[in-house]
Amino acid sequence: MVVSYTQEHVYLHPWHRVTAAAWRKFTDPAALPHILDVQTLSRDVDPRAGRLHAVRAIAGRPPPLPLLLRGLAATAGAGDVALCVERTSVDAAARAMRVVSRNATFRRLVDVEERCSYAPHPERPDEWTVFTQETSIRCAPLAAVSATVAGMVERRCAESFAQNAARGKEAVERICDGLALAEHVPGPSPADGEER
Amino acid sequence: MVFGRGKPSSPAAATSSAAAAACSELRAAYHECFNRWYADKFAKGQWNKDDCAADWHKYRACLEEHLEDKHLRQILLESETSPSYAQLDPDSSSRQGATPSK
Repeated sequence: MVVSYTQEHVYLHPWHRVTAAAWRKFTDPAALPHILDVQTLSRDVDPRAGRLHAVRAIAGRPPPLPLLLRGLAATAGAGDVALCVERTSVDAAARAMRVVSRNATFRRLVDVEERCSYAPHPERPDEWTVFTQETSIRCAPLAAVSATVAGMVERRCAESFAQNAARGKEAVERICDGLALAEHVPGPSPADGEER
Repeated sequence: MVFGRGKPSSPAAATSSAAAAACSELRAAYHECFNRWYADKFAKGQWNKDDCAADWHKYRACLEEHLEDKHLRQILLESETSPSYAQLDPDSSSRQGATPSK
């Protein structure tokens, strides 16, 4: 059994700004309260081709589980921190950003994969950005988990993912607004002088 | 400073707690450098120079020493040997200059 869904959102900001905000949403301390810690585990920059690849570990508070599932999560060895591994590729020349995230904890219980992309909007490529997100949630085929419980885990995860996705979008919008403001007001540092 | 010690209580709870505590300043310096470089240069077409390599090497060395989580450690160590652009965007791998530089 797999639950999957796709969401799309149009940001009324250019691609460079939206992707910059997407990088920041987990590292700006106040942006998302359920995020506890972010570490960058690898990064490769190809300065010739304008490509970038990074892997980050994101630790967050897991969603509150129904009582029935709490015991199950404990047996599956999951702690009170949910860890995700996020792989991001950016091709700046093509203005393409892709982000694939997977849970690293609770894996014996559930497998969540999220694939996101940020691309210039076909109608206003220099002004707007299309964000798409495909999420698939699969309950582990645990012998201990009945189909009913599996369905419940999947629905529960889907709900909390939808909620976090909404928070993430709001955070990106807020950061975009901040970046837009900073682009129009010359910053205090002389290094910012090269901006238009 | 964007990433100060604003939330001293929370990182200790995370899985990578030892690394979070030991490397927090190096991490903040790297993430701040990266976020600025990405927004001001890389995303706007000036990708010919990697401004944050020095900060990254310091931060990474710290993680290598302090990261305890086995799964994360494996990703950290694997990343040294296998640059992996291609795995996420197969469409663009045929373009010129597709070979990673290191």
